[in-house]
Amino acid sequence: MAQAPFSNNIKTLRFLADEMTQADLGDRVGVTRQTIAAIEQGKYSPSLEVAFRIAHVFGKPLEEVFQWQID
Amino acid sequence: MSFLEKIHWVALVSLILGFGWYFTSYPWATANTLDGMLTSVWMLIPTTLIFLVPMVIGSVWFAIRTPKEANLKEDEREKMIHLKGTHAAYYPLVIGVWANIFALINGLNYGWSVNILMATLVSAELVRVGAQLYLYRRGY
Repeated sequence: MAQAPFSNNIKTLRFLADEMTQADLGDRVGVTRQTIAAIEQGKYSPSLEVAFRIAHVFGKPLEEVFQWQID
Repeated sequence: MSFLEKIHWVALVSLILGFGWYFTSYPWATANTLDGMLTSVWMLIPTTLIFLVPMVIGSVWFAIRTPKEANLKEDEREKMIHLKGTHAAYYPLVIGVWANIFALINGLNYGWSVNILMATLVSAELVRVGAQLYLYRRGY
């Protein structure tokens, strides 16, 4: 399985947001806890909508949550 | 493990139990006769029960244990897993239809036809559920 060509800071951002759980983030974004776990581990590339929703939960711009790795 | 993944495991076990019993108990010696076909049709009743009972019990059990998860709608990753599994199941379905056509051309009728079609459906379901479980386990 190819890893997503971008990394993310979701785990760190969750920790900084009062140690928000994957399930809490999933509830707020509208996906399951397992989907958040898959995104965090780079196993699943979320849609643009879910990516924006995650960034919105943390109050950050998209590029502070997801970073493109390949030029 | 998500609710949908648990239900997929239940479906896999139910499929193996129900159709495992069917294919091991079927009187293959009579397959190419009218009786063989009628036996197939009658055996579908207990097969359906063996398949449905664990499916219903499993679904209710997991829904009671995790009601919140059971009420969640499929999210985008789960929808993609669903689509990929269905796509994979298309291949055994096509192979099974061709196998049935060749069987008919070669004089295998009645029970053979019904059984090849049934095996086609069961194989397609096993591939679908198996592929989806693999993707659930892998993350995507």
